[in-house]
Amino acid sequence: MATTFEEMNCAFPANLAEALELMSDEQTRGRPLAGGTDLMVQWESGVLPMPERAISVKHLPELRTIEESDDAVIIGSAVTHMQLRRSDAVVRYLPSLADAAATIGGYQIQTMGTVGGSVANASPAGDLAPSIMISDGDVIVASVRGERAIPVNEFWTGYRKTDMAEDEIIVRFRLPKMPEGACEVWRKLGPRKAQAISKVMGSCRLLISDGHIEQFRVAIGSVAPVCVRLRAVEELVTGKPLNEEAIAAAEACAAESVKPIDDIRSKADYRKWVTGRMVRGFLEQSLG
Amino acid sequence: MESVQTGTYKVIGQGLTRPDADEKVRGQAVYADDFHVPDAWYGAIVRSPVSHGRLKGLRRNPDFDWSQVVVVTPEDIPGNNIVDMMGRDMPFIAYDEIQYVGEPLALVAAPTRHLAREAAANIEPDIEELPALCTLQEMVAQYKKDPEQLHELSAQTIRKGNVDEALAEADMVIEREYSAGHQEQLYIEPQGMVAIPEGDGTLFIHGSMQCPYYINPELCETLDMPPEKLRVKQSAVGGAFGGKEEFPTLIAGYCALLALKAKRPVKIIYDRNQDILYSTKRHPSWSRYKVGLKKDGTIHAIQCEFLLDGGAYTTLSPVVMYRGILHSAMGYRCENVAIDGHVYRTNTFPNGAFRGFGAPQALWAWESMIDELAAACGMTPQAFRLQNCLRLGDATPTGGLLRDSVGSPEVLEKTLERCGFNEKWDRCSRGKPGERKWYGIGVSFFAHGAGFTGDGEARIKAKVALDLEYDEQRAPIVNVRISSTEMGQGTCIIMPQIVADAMSIDLKHAAYPMPDTFKVPDSGPTVASRTAMVVGSTVYSAGQKLKAELETFVSETLCDGQPVVLRDNAFHAEYDGKQIPFDEGAAAYLASNGPLRVYDQFKLPPHIKWNQKTFEGDAYPAYSWGCNVVELEVDTLTYEIDVTKITAYYDIGRLLNPIMAMGQIQGGLIQALGYAAMEKIEVKNGKYDADRMQTYVIPTAMDGPEMDLHFVEYPWDHAQPGAKGVGEIPMDGLAPAMANALEAASGVRLRDLPITPEQLFAELQATQPRSA
Repeated sequence: MATTFEEMNCAFPANLAEALELMSDEQTRGRPLAGGTDLMVQWESGVLPMPERAISVKHLPELRTIEESDDAVIIGSAVTHMQLRRSDAVVRYLPSLADAAATIGGYQIQTMGTVGGSVANASPAGDLAPSIMISDGDVIVASVRGERAIPVNEFWTGYRKTDMAEDEIIVRFRLPKMPEGACEVWRKLGPRKAQAISKVMGSCRLLISDGHIEQFRVAIGSVAPVCVRLRAVEELVTGKPLNEEAIAAAEACAAESVKPIDDIRSKADYRKWVTGRMVRGFLEQSLG
Repeated sequence: MESVQTGTYKVIGQGLTRPDADEKVRGQAVYADDFHVPDAWYGAIVRSPVSHGRLKGLRRNPDFDWSQVVVVTPEDIPGNNIVDMMGRDMPFIAYDEIQYVGEPLALVAAPTRHLAREAAANIEPDIEELPALCTLQEMVAQYKKDPEQLHELSAQTIRKGNVDEALAEADMVIEREYSAGHQEQLYIEPQGMVAIPEGDGTLFIHGSMQCPYYINPELCETLDMPPEKLRVKQSAVGGAFGGKEEFPTLIAGYCALLALKAKRPVKIIYDRNQDILYSTKRHPSWSRYKVGLKKDGTIHAIQCEFLLDGGAYTTLSPVVMYRGILHSAMGYRCENVAIDGHVYRTNTFPNGAFRGFGAPQALWAWESMIDELAAACGMTPQAFRLQNCLRLGDATPTGGLLRDSVGSPEVLEKTLERCGFNEKWDRCSRGKPGERKWYGIGVSFFAHGAGFTGDGEARIKAKVALDLEYDEQRAPIVNVRISSTEMGQGTCIIMPQIVADAMSIDLKHAAYPMPDTFKVPDSGPTVASRTAMVVGSTVYSAGQKLKAELETFVSETLCDGQPVVLRDNAFHAEYDGKQIPFDEGAAAYLASNGPLRVYDQFKLPPHIKWNQKTFEGDAYPAYSWGCNVVELEVDTLTYEIDVTKITAYYDIGRLLNPIMAMGQIQGGLIQALGYAAMEKIEVKNGKYDADRMQTYVIPTAMDGPEMDLHFVEYPWDHAQPGAKGVGEIPMDGLAPAMANALEAASGVRLRDLPITPEQLFAELQATQPRSA
């Protein structure tokens, strides 16, 4: 274990292949380090032990682009929050993700912090998680053994736990575009208006046709050990007319679907109630 | 009535830019951690892991290499192991009973910060744990059950009229309780100090502080050193807010003890986490009122208990409580007042000075109470305040007469009118169902005692000096030599402004060097909204003395004995009209006589009378006055509370520098918004839970509402230039105005600070249960 930053050995591989090579061997493997906006703080404060080795991935060109396919936006894992919020493709096809990125930290954090870092950090208060989850996309991870796609809804397996093997690095996200005519909404409740860690936050994707709810996906963070999709709520309202009856049922069901805790940022009973209220807000917003 | 003739001011009253602005904005200012001290070692502290216990011993890990490290335990202290503050109950290093988590048990110094911390971690205390009382809630519960079981650090009463009879005579009696939590000062740079043993046997202490003359006498006893051997100098300070009032004595003491043993400089710089965990905070408070009203809305009796959670030791808590009780019934007419103030020990870090110093806690409760009283007699909050507020000629709760410079009721009337209170009050939502947003408006009205509380100024007798000397370019300069520090508030510009007008010279000929106890007399601490009023007026009179001395010199040596007047930056000879520019005359003085120092001392006006035992008379030489109106919206979906607008008027006496004064108000209001609605610390197992900026949430610029802020000037009549205090009053009124507005919006009253959506949710659930 290193005890100071000076003692920590940080490798700067020239390309992704070299990074994966370093990760493949126990002797050279290190903690992947992107913007460091979570890790540096956790190491300094002792929340996480400082590893002996880190491998910088933020500079790898393979991980820094946002591309578009017919049906998805493909986002490199070292793309920063600032890139996200300014990307035309993200703003257009994954609008709640762009909105969420714009509420993370201040400009300094947004310029350093990355999507891959936020997802790998696996905090239930990670602000990008809900918008990623409602896209139903994949996290693509890589190792010398090859690439594999993990559905985003299976990626986080518990509090600060992911489905990755120790030699794997997140390389990109494949997030399906919002269907034509749909809308997305992001809402964050924090203790202040900027640079806030969320008390509760969430995103929804909603498609209304003919006054009926054709598609409703909703994910809420900071109310469970991992960010959660509220499947019961989604199933309850899909196919129903968008009216007060459906909204009230969704609100009640949402509050019952989460098991938040008391912590330094908020209270369990408030979080439970406000989860329902946020779902109400998502649906009412579309009511106009 | 004695009154000083008002002078005419040219430089005073201008919004001039402060001389340190440029270096601070460019990051060039030298803060405590910025100056390089060759061969300095770093200090670290072995701290208690328990809230209360008995220290049995310290065990040094025999496997650790101790040869590179210096360790200080109580046996190494040359003098008494006492921090010489009000109680004399706090040791520098605990040796028997331990009173809080983090209390120092030993000090360590080593060549690197890392090694020092590692060494500290290799000293293991053996402690027998004892039961602890760590929170305000536990303290209040015990107070209600049996206060004798609490450890009282200080108590004081105020009595006026006969409250028991008056309560019996009242048409109605309203009882309420309010409480408020800790607040962390969160200055820009954390606490930091270096102690340097000099070759001549003096010890030089340099670092982040607001009161150099606290450190000097307080350390002398511990170090067994005469005061003239201890030199204390302030480094650039990026905000202090009281957090660098009494605390720096501790960190200076740790550095000094280590430096004397190590025989080399020792530096301690806290990181933010240590700083929040192991330095002072605003005292948590609890107020209980029993107020008797007449049907016509007259306040007939005020009975109040005001409790502060003092933390582990006495430190300055008595004075914080004094200011608290002096503001607990202030602002309104009432003939029968009984206030009991208490400070009790809890097993946490000693709570201490923070902008407002007890007044924000008191006024949070009292100005919330005023709205509840108005409601009880069916009056609007504005009508109730206008009917009962103190005016010129009225007496304060301690029987002090408001003789002059009273900005009441003007600040109240003007604020209410400016924001259109009456009309807006009528359209508040009051928790109306079915609304997307609830709107509310609320008011608070308050006075803040300017200058040190009670007999403070009479005891301190603030001394100031002005030095006529050469500056670095060998031009004559008048240096203001005061121990009042610059910590963001603008001392460094208002003092030269005062000198310029007192002497009728250009601003460029006056300067304010940072205080160094080897160069400045004791002007008292930089606290209590006293610098502009008390020290400023004394600097003004010193300026007049210096002016007279120079006029005499120029008359005798350059003008053949003609009467000479220094006016508009030149010496004017009366008979032949000869004019000599100020710098020529001053240079002639310096060439012939060398540097000139004049002293002056603050004197209270003779009519100011105070009994420190009975708390009767004039508690302060003057009061600043203020009124805040808060408008807010509640999102009924989430109960998020958005303060949208603050309208305020303040009377702070003569405005010395309107830009600086407005900066104090704006910044202070944002800090008050944090106190009112965000900043929250809970004590969990004796430790503060919010111990980083990640978890201790203060407002950002984005949280700042629209502000419509104004001054009215009622200068203090008894000394030029007639400033009163501005530093603290911005903290006083926002929290109660917000709670009052929130009741108007939501229909429920919150009585614990901070006000949060969680609290509003719990209260609304309790009062109007609804199905989910």
